[in-house]
Amino acid sequence: MGDKIKALWRKTLWAWSPESERESSESIVKNFWLHWFPAKVARASMDWNYSFWLGTASASLLMILTVTGVMLMFYYVPSTERAYGSIKDLEYAVSFGRLLRNQHRWAAEGMVAVVYIHMARVFFTGAYRGTRAINWVVGVILFLATLLLSFTGYLLPWDQLAFWAITVGTSIAKQAPVVGPTIQFILLGGNEIGQQTLLRFYVLHVFLLPVFVLVLFAYHMWRVRKDGGLAAIERVRHERAMAPKAISKTKSYSLFGITPGTSVQVMSSTGLEESDQVFSSPNMSRRIALVFLVVFNITLLAALMFNAPLEGLANPSVTPNPAKAPWYFVWLQELVASTTVRLGGFTVSGALLGGILLPGFLLAVLTLWPFIDRSSLRTEGRWLAPERRRQNVTFALATLAIIVLIMIGVYLRGPYWRIYWPGQPRPEMPRLY
Amino acid sequence: MDSERRRILRFIGKGSVLAAFLGQIGAAGRAFYPNVLYEPPSRFKLKRPNDYPDGYTFVEAHRLFVIRQKEAFHVISGICTHLGCTVQWKDTEFDCPCHGSRFRPDGTVISGPAPRPLDWFATTVSPDGFLEVDSATDVARDFRLLVGKGKA
Repeated sequence: MGDKIKALWRKTLWAWSPESERESSESIVKNFWLHWFPAKVARASMDWNYSFWLGTASASLLMILTVTGVMLMFYYVPSTERAYGSIKDLEYAVSFGRLLRNQHRWAAEGMVAVVYIHMARVFFTGAYRGTRAINWVVGVILFLATLLLSFTGYLLPWDQLAFWAITVGTSIAKQAPVVGPTIQFILLGGNEIGQQTLLRFYVLHVFLLPVFVLVLFAYHMWRVRKDGGLAAIERVRHERAMAPKAISKTKSYSLFGITPGTSVQVMSSTGLEESDQVFSSPNMSRRIALVFLVVFNITLLAALMFNAPLEGLANPSVTPNPAKAPWYFVWLQELVASTTVRLGGFTVSGALLGGILLPGFLLAVLTLWPFIDRSSLRTEGRWLAPERRRQNVTFALATLAIIVLIMIGVYLRGPYWRIYWPGQPRPEMPRLY
Repeated sequence: MDSERRRILRFIGKGSVLAAFLGQIGAAGRAFYPNVLYEPPSRFKLKRPNDYPDGYTFVEAHRLFVIRQKEAFHVISGICTHLGCTVQWKDTEFDCPCHGSRFRPDGTVISGPAPRPLDWFATTVSPDGFLEVDSATDVARDFRLLVGKGKA
């Protein structure tokens, strides 16, 4: 019965069905929606336990953010007088406006986390060797762009959190040697945060950065294809290259009747065998749809359960106490708060050391890691290869240190940025000074 | 000879189009740098000296503290020298809510990440009798504005 319905469904929608492998491939390559997939993908690339499909999850979040973001743009007014009010309207006057804003917010924070975990996966599997090094660098830039998108989105509600996060953020930019004050001036569109700043961050957030990310994302995908797929296939290629070839037997007709013999071995240029590959549609397209739906439902659930925070209207005179950055920047806040160095009469501000030099150094090391890694190519595409143990431990420890700093900042810091242990009473701070 | 002339003309033609293109990119970049700012002036009037009580008074609109010791006045900036948050006066010291910097009553650093003391602003009495602050001009920490009887 089910098969009959299926057959009927096919008959109503398809005038033709592929009769050979070649026709199946062409039905993918010649289709508008599917043409950006290869006709076939390696089975190893599709493994849930290898990649956890984190890149697809990141792309799904980007898509959710684009659509909800465009919806929000219909109501948001980028003016210092009306921005906060338009957010309040979204929350109380627009049907499902709060839901859209919540989903946008949680998808944005989720994207920061998922993109980082995606990067960690690529690191732990050593999937950045050879030509894939380019995609690693592109990925690091995409991660930075994700952070910048979050940061610029932060200012738009024009609440206290927004205002003081941008005050601190642009003050850090000011500490950059030589060009710092100019960068701050251009970012703010003046010497103080005002209408110009809001408009600049708005244009960056809704146009320039998203376009930048979309272009780089397209390149990221193109490179994955040109590199032959995920690094997991290198493992298979290696096995195929090592395995003794079964000699294919042939029969030919000679003068004396049928003569058995052997023929030339032909390896495909991908180094994979027919059985290592599957058609990308429906095998991959279906999984992409599934990942998207799961990610969408998680963000929707988060949006239904938790409201996006909104503090009081921005007050340029009074800083909230304590004033905390969003969680993914709190570790930087911890660094700038504790790295001021005093040597005699000479002072290096924590804003320069912890806000620019230290993160800049971490970023440089991260970007150049594929060129530092000297382990053998056999570690490529393998989870936690023993030969790369020291590298993996280093990455894990750095991540752990950042998580610990985030925990301290989020849970232990109280008024005046002092440490309060759990259970220790915190002084009540008046809303104003 | 003729081909040489063509080559030069072609070079000038292509070169000028390219130069115009690069020039416009430069102009577009320059447009990001505003020439006119609609920001409050760095020189502004506060209330009359006698409107301030003895001790530390926070002036919210300008993020600064007016400090009165009988007839002597001075003005300390409320903007933390670390990353620009507004400090709060806590009876005996200034504390910053963003990164925990602490300052003595004269603005010098006790502890925390602030790299230098809070600024002291040049202060005068305007001809019509108001305190007038110039936030673009710093003064030394022994600056006092004497008003009234104590005025020499």
